[in-house]
Amino acid sequence: MPISMPAKLSAAAAALIALIVLPQLTSGYVVYLANLMLVYIILAIGLNILIGETGQFGLAHVAFYGIGIYTTAILTSRYGVPFPVAVIAGMLLAGAIGFLLGAVSFRMRDIYLALSTFAFGEAMQWVFKSWDAVTNGPNGMRIPQASLFGFRITNDHDAYYVVLAVAIVTVLVTILLMQSRLGRAFRAVRESEPAALALGVNVRRTKVIAFTLSAVYAGLAGGIFASFSSFIHPDSLGFTTTILVLTMIVVGGLGSIAGAVMGALILGLIQELLRQAPSYQEIIYGVILILFMMYAPKGVIGALKARFSRSGSAAK
Amino acid sequence: MLELKDISAGYGRINALSGVGLKVDAGRVVALLGANGAGKTTTLNCISRVVALTSGEIHFEGQRVDRLASEDMVARGVCQVPEGREIFARMSVRENLEIGAHLRRDTAVIRQDLDRVCEYFPRLRQRFAQEAGTLSGGEQQMLLIARALMGRPKLLLLDEPSLGLSPLLVEQIFAIIRQLNKEGLTILLVEQNARIALNVSDYAYILENGEIAFEGNSADLVRDDRVRQAYLGA
Repeated sequence: MPISMPAKLSAAAAALIALIVLPQLTSGYVVYLANLMLVYIILAIGLNILIGETGQFGLAHVAFYGIGIYTTAILTSRYGVPFPVAVIAGMLLAGAIGFLLGAVSFRMRDIYLALSTFAFGEAMQWVFKSWDAVTNGPNGMRIPQASLFGFRITNDHDAYYVVLAVAIVTVLVTILLMQSRLGRAFRAVRESEPAALALGVNVRRTKVIAFTLSAVYAGLAGGIFASFSSFIHPDSLGFTTTILVLTMIVVGGLGSIAGAVMGALILGLIQELLRQAPSYQEIIYGVILILFMMYAPKGVIGALKARFSRSGSAAK
Repeated sequence: MLELKDISAGYGRINALSGVGLKVDAGRVVALLGANGAGKTTTLNCISRVVALTSGEIHFEGQRVDRLASEDMVARGVCQVPEGREIFARMSVRENLEIGAHLRRDTAVIRQDLDRVCEYFPRLRQRFAQEAGTLSGGEQQMLLIARALMGRPKLLLLDEPSLGLSPLLVEQIFAIIRQLNKEGLTILLVEQNARIALNVSDYAYILENGEIAFEGNSADLVRDDRVRQAYLGA
């Protein structure tokens, strides 16, 4: 049997209370980690829309994340734009570029799509590294302290509730979106383009919307990252980070929001454990990715569901 | 209701259809028969605007439609039941049906229609929350037809509904096809199983190598020697 609704609600309430009291109980480092993981959750949910729901292997996610970070940082530091406006601008810019990428690549699929979006991601990293006048190039860029309606966000604790609220709203909005007509169209395109087409789904528009939306999420994640982080270096916006987010959604279970959240938590932790050994990160993500694709293609969520339905039918 | 005038279509340099003409009058079941690769599915895909014509015209309800997008055809009431289990395997049965009503905005009526199509196929109702990929072959075929009905079609394009099904299931499916037609639905049926197709249809066309080789009232074609030899194995 699937888990009952009251059980789900009480679990969600318990998790929410734990999340709310978390900063009171722990050190700054843990709160920083929590912030980072919430950003990963937004990133993972965004990539899941494109890859998990719509089945389009776009591998430029980190480029849009970077656009969100740089846009927010540049607008707030150089032009004195209020932080929330800068975040929205970053989302819009990421969305606009995501739209263009989707509009030129909607015809491609599978490996061709993966390669061309990979190339776009690499090109964007090159832009971040080389456009000295705007991004301060390979030296990286300081991100000013964000302030929100008069409150200055000076440390991770200050940022935490903002980040948490945005992450929760993002999750809830995504749940609604995926149950909507649009969410159904995404999945129909993933399952069979000809059949979707034959039923009146505008496949091309659906794909472009998925690209755009996914980029908007990454842009939002970038803007939120800028709320608690004081520095961005283009080296952290490379393909490894896209692979990290891809591994999150594969480990969690493609096409599942809960899976994306879970994967973001698991891989976020693993990444933090590997911080001292960056050269091993890529290898380890790669191995995890391969193992899950081979032995648990439906991810942690799929395994949990299978277990629950088995124990449920055994109880009958 | 539907008329194809001298249509041709192809994939790259290969000509799949050359100069096919065909008419479907309202309220009838018209069968399009032929061997594998004769161009039957291509003809349906031309009508539903999934495949582009290289020449010729398609008219539906008096209007020329061969330049429309596929969703415009669905909006006009032309729904295709694709061949070969083109279900959405990792979506629930319910979602598969809802996608069939993708272009409709009348949410309340859509919910009623979910019940209505499940009256034709009670087994789908029992499997509502299940992933469509876990259905049996017969149930998947039922789901395909039910999904198309969710679009409230005026003209149903049915592609090989008997493919890979046991004789008993084929009979059930065709009983429902007959019933749908009795209730006013116009059907263009593509089949390799000529015997059963001629049995349910009023009129039939036979495609050979992308051209219409024979046409006539189904009752006459059943008795035609050439048709019997080539398609009925007698």
